[in-house]
Amino acid sequence: MIEAIQDQLGNPSDFTAETMDNGYAKMQICFFPGMCDMDQLKDAVIVPFSYRFDPDEFRRMLHTSVAFMKDVPANHLADYLLKGYVILGYEGEVFVFRAIRRMQTAPDQTQVEASLQGPQSAFTENLDLNLTLVRTLYNVPDLSVENYEPGNLSKSKIVLLYDRTKCNDATLKEVRKRLENLDHGLLLSAGQLAKHLSQAKYRLFPITQLTERPDRLSMHINKGKLAVLMDGSRFAILLPVHFFDFMYAMDDHYEPSWMSNFMLGLRYISMLLTLTLPALYISIVSYNPEVFRVQLAFTIDGSRAAVPYPSFIEVLLMLFMIEVLIEASLRLPRAVGSTAATVGGLILGQAAQQAGLVSSVMIIVTSVVAISNFVIPNTTFSYFIRILKYGFVAVAVFAGLVGVVVALFMMVVYLCNMRSFGEPYFALFQSKARVAGSKNR
Amino acid sequence: MIRYYYYHIFYVGMMNIMVLVPYVLISHRFDGAVSSFPLAIACGTLYSFVTSSVFQRFPGLGLPEIYKLFFPVWLANCLNIIGVVIWSSAGIIVLFSYSNTIGIFFDPEASSYLNLGIMAIASLWAATRSSRSVQFAHEVLLVVSSPIVLWILSKALFSDWLDWDAIRLVAGAGIRKPPSMACFFAASFVFSGHMNITLFNRLHPPDLKFRFRWMIPIVGTFFLLVSFFVPIGFHGTQAVGNYLYVWSVTTDSLMMKYGFIQRVLYLFLLLYTFLSLLFVMNTWHTGMEFLKACFKRYKPLTDEVNVPAVNWWICSFWVVVTFVYAYYTNDLLNRVVAEMWLITHFIVESILVFMLLAFWYMKKKGRMRRSEASLAPQGGGS
Repeated sequence: MIEAIQDQLGNPSDFTAETMDNGYAKMQICFFPGMCDMDQLKDAVIVPFSYRFDPDEFRRMLHTSVAFMKDVPANHLADYLLKGYVILGYEGEVFVFRAIRRMQTAPDQTQVEASLQGPQSAFTENLDLNLTLVRTLYNVPDLSVENYEPGNLSKSKIVLLYDRTKCNDATLKEVRKRLENLDHGLLLSAGQLAKHLSQAKYRLFPITQLTERPDRLSMHINKGKLAVLMDGSRFAILLPVHFFDFMYAMDDHYEPSWMSNFMLGLRYISMLLTLTLPALYISIVSYNPEVFRVQLAFTIDGSRAAVPYPSFIEVLLMLFMIEVLIEASLRLPRAVGSTAATVGGLILGQAAQQAGLVSSVMIIVTSVVAISNFVIPNTTFSYFIRILKYGFVAVAVFAGLVGVVVALFMMVVYLCNMRSFGEPYFALFQSKARVAGSKNR
Repeated sequence: MIRYYYYHIFYVGMMNIMVLVPYVLISHRFDGAVSSFPLAIACGTLYSFVTSSVFQRFPGLGLPEIYKLFFPVWLANCLNIIGVVIWSSAGIIVLFSYSNTIGIFFDPEASSYLNLGIMAIASLWAATRSSRSVQFAHEVLLVVSSPIVLWILSKALFSDWLDWDAIRLVAGAGIRKPPSMACFFAASFVFSGHMNITLFNRLHPPDLKFRFRWMIPIVGTFFLLVSFFVPIGFHGTQAVGNYLYVWSVTTDSLMMKYGFIQRVLYLFLLLYTFLSLLFVMNTWHTGMEFLKACFKRYKPLTDEVNVPAVNWWICSFWVVVTFVYAYYTNDLLNRVVAEMWLITHFIVESILVFMLLAFWYMKKKGRMRRSEASLAPQGGGS
């Protein structure tokens, strides 16, 4: 047995394959020490085999304990080894023992979706632990868990979660189909999986949501939707989602409703600002200064007095600066990151304006755009908004204010035309309408 | 779901400004505009009640499907074509007059074809979507823009500069004159939001009850009176006749004291960009679906995932027609065309209402050529 496996694996140096002999019996054992929990292996196999050896008891243990799997096809043994299982050969039979080393035993702290007073625990990179987290929060017998193992290189386990009594069958069927047809070279993160699930590559808005919060996932499942968890990723994929889901922070459910409604309004306004403000600046300055009241129009024009080029160059320049700054502070190591932010902030804040490269109003516009973008609670969604604003800028350059309004109209139509796994993506007052709509079909 | 029906009522009420209804009414302000209002209100309300009652008897069927229930194919197709012409020409007229308005008030220097082109592309793209998407977009944009439109209207109504004497004079003088036919046709357009049900009834669930129908005369009367009398109150009984885009000039008489924008005109125009695009989207979409219903292989779908190529071809044709129209007409000619369109629209609407009553009767007698279920539109597609 050992030789066959070693041949298949190419005898790597982090692999242990030995024949143990305690004087009474012989046992073949092979495993990857790095991937196995050695304590578990010692307690369950080594101790009964060595110090406390009793041939009858040992044989009985191997055959009855649920921890040992028998009759595993020989061609799958290597797969099990690669996942951290231990393979034992005893008295001509082969047993597979699960002793996967757990990197994490406690839930993570939330990092991306912070919450002030909500639960602080987040998903980890361990699938079993994640399932435990979900089960503790959504503690009902109707929670269904389906396993998928795609035939790709990483073979990470994928789990589909939903509430049997509440979920929509058509959506479930569609998602199952997509999960079964999944084969892609290396599947490394939930974000990548979400991209494959949503299929169309050049969509302007995400139709799945990534979350690291078990409470968000439970709430989502409770609404009759689905969630996909993936081993090795600390993010879950929620689907189908609506446009409005992205604007909710979990705190909104835990704080007084006046406050959360106010914050929600603030977020929508911010989203609209970050999307259209640069475009509006261009169209006001270059096309229709008379739209603003006279004093304001003069102020803007006055601040642009030293700027030698048209407004759209100014906007593109500043947007380029701010994007580069954001990207740099994201990728740099923490220690250097603050330096970059300070230097960049100085340039953006003061020097550029004093040098007469941009107007002071443009600096305000830039900072409003950047800060408003951070208000959007979901990272993926804010990325999409960040890109989309360039579309508006492009329209404003060629068609001015009317172009911006028409582009806004087209965006609304685009959103209304989107379906997230068969459900309308952007439709108001849907809770009742959806029931009526499904009856209609 | 009933709210979708009232959205149409509501936005056609607001849209009358862009089909030059106020212009037609105001040009007849001393000879029979006012006296035609009661007639138009009664007639429009009656028509709305009839259409909604009849379509309630045919749940989930659009007008093309109902034609097929009772008529031979060639007749149904002829009637569909009439619908196509009426609907799509409405979109073309609005597109032209609105892009001209934008050209006059926003950027007089830019080529008028640029604005027309942008708006035509947007409408082309919006109209080719599925019926359900069109409905959603309609709802979202209307919910966003109508509060602001109503705010502007109330600002106008409560403005100090609104001269109630002029309004009283016109109302008093006009009511004694015999009603004018042109004004009657124009005024009844305000109530014709119910006509959109001819297509969007496809999306209505079978158990839909048309409640709150008493709102129709109230909403219609409000918009009719406002769009006629407010400009008179601002410009006076004589000067009001000088303007073609009378409402744009009227909102320019309003001022916002606080805020970045001082002249209400710009806010108004930007909002009406949304509403006009909505109107074009709805009319072209309806026209497109009616035209598609003439093909034999066509199966009505309300929520197809992929837009069929034929949608693009039909709507692109209308874009081309719009450009040709824009090339050969000007504002004055467009005014005449709009007036003719209003008249034709009313006549077609009347014929349709009588046909619907006949359908109602024939259904009671069971004289249907095909079964309703075989014609009912499906939700999704491939």
